Amino acid sequence: MQDWISMPLVGFPLVASIVLLAFVSNADDAMRKRLSNPIRMATLIFSLVMLVITTGLFFQYFGSLSWEGISFNSYNYINRYNWIESLGIHWTVGLDALSFPMVWLTTFLLPVTIIATWNEKNGALYFPIVLAMGGALIGVFVALDLFMFYVFWELTLIPMFFLILKWGGKDRKYASQKFFIYTFTASVIMLLGLITLYFFQDPVNPLQYSGSVTGRTFDIGEITQHALNENGKGWYLGANIQKILFVMLMLGFLVKLPAVPFHTWLPDAHVQAPTGGSMLLAGVMLKMGAYGMFRLPISLFPHALQYFQLVLMAIGMVSLVWGAVVCLGQTNLKKMVAYSSVSHMGVILIGIATMQPMGWAAALFMMFAHGIISPMLFAVCGAFKHHYHSMEIGAMRGMAKHSPWLATSMMFAWMASLGLPLLAGFVAELMMLIALWYFLAAEGWSVFWMVGPALVLAITAGYYLWSMQRTIFEGGDETQPPESLHGEPVPDITNPEKLAMIILAVFTIVFGVMPWIALDMMHDWTAEIFKGLILPILGGFNGGA
Amino acid sequence: MSETTTVEAFGDGFISALCPELMLFAGLLLLIIVPNLGRGTFRIRGTQIRVPWLLGGSRFKITSDPRLPAWIASITLGSAFLNVVYIFSQGLERVVIVSESGKELLLVNGFSRVFEMIFFGALALAAFSSMNRLQVKGIGAHVSEHELYNNRRQADFYILMVTCALGMSVVALAQDLFVLFIGLELASFSTYVLVAFLKESKVGVESGMKYFIVGSVASGVGLYGLSMLYLWAGSLQFSVLSVAFAESGTTALPLIGIGFVLVGFGFKVSAAPFHFAAPDAYAGAISPVAGVLATASKAMGMLGLVRMLLIVAAPESSDGSAVWLACLGAMAAITMTWGNLAALGSDNPKRMLAYSSVAHAGYMLAALTAVGAWNWDAAVSGDAGAAAVAVMTALLFHLVVLVAFKLGAFLVLSILESEGGASRLSSLGGLAKREPLLAVAMFIFMISLAGVPPMAGFLSKLLVIMGIVRIAVGDMGAEIADGGVFVLADMHWVWWLAFLMVINSAISVFYYLRVVVVMFFDEPEEGREGPLPSGWQVRLAILACVLTTVFVGIAGDALIRICEMAAQSLNYGW
Repeated sequence: MQDWISMPLVGFPLVASIVLLAFVSNADDAMRKRLSNPIRMATLIFSLVMLVITTGLFFQYFGSLSWEGISFNSYNYINRYNWIESLGIHWTVGLDALSFPMVWLTTFLLPVTIIATWNEKNGALYFPIVLAMGGALIGVFVALDLFMFYVFWELTLIPMFFLILKWGGKDRKYASQKFFIYTFTASVIMLLGLITLYFFQDPVNPLQYSGSVTGRTFDIGEITQHALNENGKGWYLGANIQKILFVMLMLGFLVKLPAVPFHTWLPDAHVQAPTGGSMLLAGVMLKMGAYGMFRLPISLFPHALQYFQLVLMAIGMVSLVWGAVVCLGQTNLKKMVAYSSVSHMGVILIGIATMQPMGWAAALFMMFAHGIISPMLFAVCGAFKHHYHSMEIGAMRGMAKHSPWLATSMMFAWMASLGLPLLAGFVAELMMLIALWYFLAAEGWSVFWMVGPALVLAITAGYYLWSMQRTIFEGGDETQPPESLHGEPVPDITNPEKLAMIILAVFTIVFGVMPWIALDMMHDWTAEIFKGLILPILGGFNGGA
Repeated sequence: MSETTTVEAFGDGFISALCPELMLFAGLLLLIIVPNLGRGTFRIRGTQIRVPWLLGGSRFKITSDPRLPAWIASITLGSAFLNVVYIFSQGLERVVIVSESGKELLLVNGFSRVFEMIFFGALALAAFSSMNRLQVKGIGAHVSEHELYNNRRQADFYILMVTCALGMSVVALAQDLFVLFIGLELASFSTYVLVAFLKESKVGVESGMKYFIVGSVASGVGLYGLSMLYLWAGSLQFSVLSVAFAESGTTALPLIGIGFVLVGFGFKVSAAPFHFAAPDAYAGAISPVAGVLATASKAMGMLGLVRMLLIVAAPESSDGSAVWLACLGAMAAITMTWGNLAALGSDNPKRMLAYSSVAHAGYMLAALTAVGAWNWDAAVSGDAGAAAVAVMTALLFHLVVLVAFKLGAFLVLSILESEGGASRLSSLGGLAKREPLLAVAMFIFMISLAGVPPMAGFLSKLLVIMGIVRIAVGDMGAEIADGGVFVLADMHWVWWLAFLMVINSAISVFYYLRVVVVMFFDEPEEGREGPLPSGWQVRLAILACVLTTVFVGIAGDALIRICEMAAQSLNYGW
């Protein structure tokens, strides 16, 4: 089949950005300034082409492959090339209903990010790095080979590290290093887990695509299929080993997600990162954690998932509650939004821990919806910082009067994030609550456990409304511009920023009113994975639809 | 496996087998003779006829060019390197060179060829890039280009480079501990002088002295161990020793002897606790020499350890592991952790790289430990030979690619050094503004050292971890397929070395990233805002290192196969 993924979506952005960077890095400052606009246009066009391709894939334009009813561990547009043959490493790409929404989201956010940060300083270097970020992120989602997955998983750190280090806030030096070390530490432990998993294959009866030297394969599809067969008979690899590997893999993904108590890198990275970095970080990079959980530990070790179900549930609950409560105390706008991300990632984790098809579909849709809403949150924060030179919530009053565009965008984004019905976030949260209800019913637990998450939704509404009230509305006729402007007239957001806000808002509404566009394939996929993976273990359905 | 050919010294096939070494030897002679050629004449007694005999007198313009020795050395080492690469492309043979009485002296096979490749590659890069970087007035002084070039000591420097390569390749070929020791000492003495070559600066002399004293103590201890082995077995031939060890190796005398020999090699690989001289030596030597110490010299020590442990002391203890397993495992764990923790606290980039090289020695020792555990439980460990070959492959691969990014990092420092010192981290400040491509190169070396994909350093670390895990897990996969149940304790404890490696990689990211942050974030030091010293040779060498690092990281299959071939040709005891 024609390969619409490897070169157009992964290879091209990486190579193009490296070429652009090599070209620009030798130019002097004047030249860079002159090159800034052409490079910006070029990266925008590249990313739009990528968006066209993924949208075409969705509408089955390139080979009519349906996205609905993809059974577990089968992939559309699968392509495989030899890479390091002696070790059983292949360049394998493919898409299913788990990865496709994430790939589309990445290609959607790339042009939006470029538009939203249209006037970023030192653009000749900035925009190629954003493009490279996109290529690396897509690489993570399309990889169907453990080695390739890990390579792209780590590769995403490099552009993000430089985005924070070169374009970040005051403490960017600290934040960028903390970000890199924290996530690297978790992922090397994950790597050891992956290698141990690799060597638990049987070289006497090797799987397909095994290496000529080792007799084992890194192919995710093959390993998953093998694990599926073995899990049907009992614990794949035995109870003890499965639990250990599950923990090692989960550790890497929980840090990326991030879940409390591994979340401390996130507020630092977000507050210091430039707007574009934050948008991609919150929009796509955090989802790598949830994506990885579904792709590896959950698919491979369902027994261990069941064993650790309550632990995950507890971590999810704590993330949800902790993130929300900490938000209440923030005076920095961006920090508040960052902690709200922690809280929303808790929703994903709870959805996973319910072990209900509805909960998993909720988690998948939350990944997608949060991927559209959170970039808007950070775009608003970025505009705030860019125009008012301050992030303090208390710095100003009565924004609605002098900056109506920013105030409207902020209000919209805040409402979307707190889960207003008819906006994308609401669908996911509602589904999660229903799935949690099923879970409680199945376990025979008291319904009062529902109070926690429900209350958190109220707290979320609380901190968002409170911050809006203080910045947008309070003050009446006597608006109070931020002191950091030193009496200059208060500007509203620029035209590119307005465009980015409108695009994000439109899609938030589209996926809020018509969630089935994305939700159908997710729901089908979770139903399939349940039929194939979880039901044989549970020995019957223990919940709702 | 190809047939073994036996060749007497200077017999048929001698020249083709030892072609790279003979090239070095020829280059060495040229280095001694050519810079002395001049208009000297010789008067025939009793006549007025003067016969020009070229030696002495005022030198010709070309022979007095101070760059000439550098060119000769670079071309010699480079062509020796290319020769080895050519031999690899032509297919390997196995040639034993014997003495008149039939004793095996040297063995040429894939294993020794890979090491020759490492030694010649590293030294060729170092020689080429130090062509116009050699300091005459010591670190910190600004010297004119004229002073740099017009320096008679250039010839000495490059002669030492070539003798160093010669000694190292003898170590790679030796089949007799005494021959090995001669090669080791030839290489060591060359490096002692190279380290102390900055005789005008205090730090150069001090570090040279330190390195010399500690090194000779280590060599002395090693020699003492050799004498004990000789006393015990009556021979220093590897073949004799390994047979004797299989029979009565666990008695005290040979164990102590081998322990002493290991001290000698442990110093060379800078394994803890014999690493104390390394940071001082690296910091005092000029950067290309420090790079050689960290790559070629380390490979030589590792080679000695492999020969000693896997060929001589291969026999198994009662649980199927080598007798030295626990000892070496502890040494690996201490070395990697110590190196990384010490690197965290050092502000001098060269010392930092030295400690990082200690840490890398720890990773390699961990791999070696895993080889020693090859047959720990016959029921689950599976094909012992195949697993051990996998680890050896990883070890060789690591040593080869280390040349690219470790030496590369030292070469970047050498550019800064020739504008007045690279002894503080802040001297790297603002490198991204001053010369962006150089900063990018250093960035690539740093993340490669840290083991971040897609660089060669990641692939090598991955291979080492994979090798260790493979040994630890063995063929449990087959057992599991039969419904066997395993717990973590069923894996061999070397798995925890892999775990420790992983944790150590995470620690090491901290100090590698610090370098990156300084280059890309901080402002240049005062007086360093201008452009960097010129010199296309060193930049070309750095470019070669960058390309190797990236290319091998992305497409390392060919190199893995070469290393595997070499690992298979190492004659294991089983």
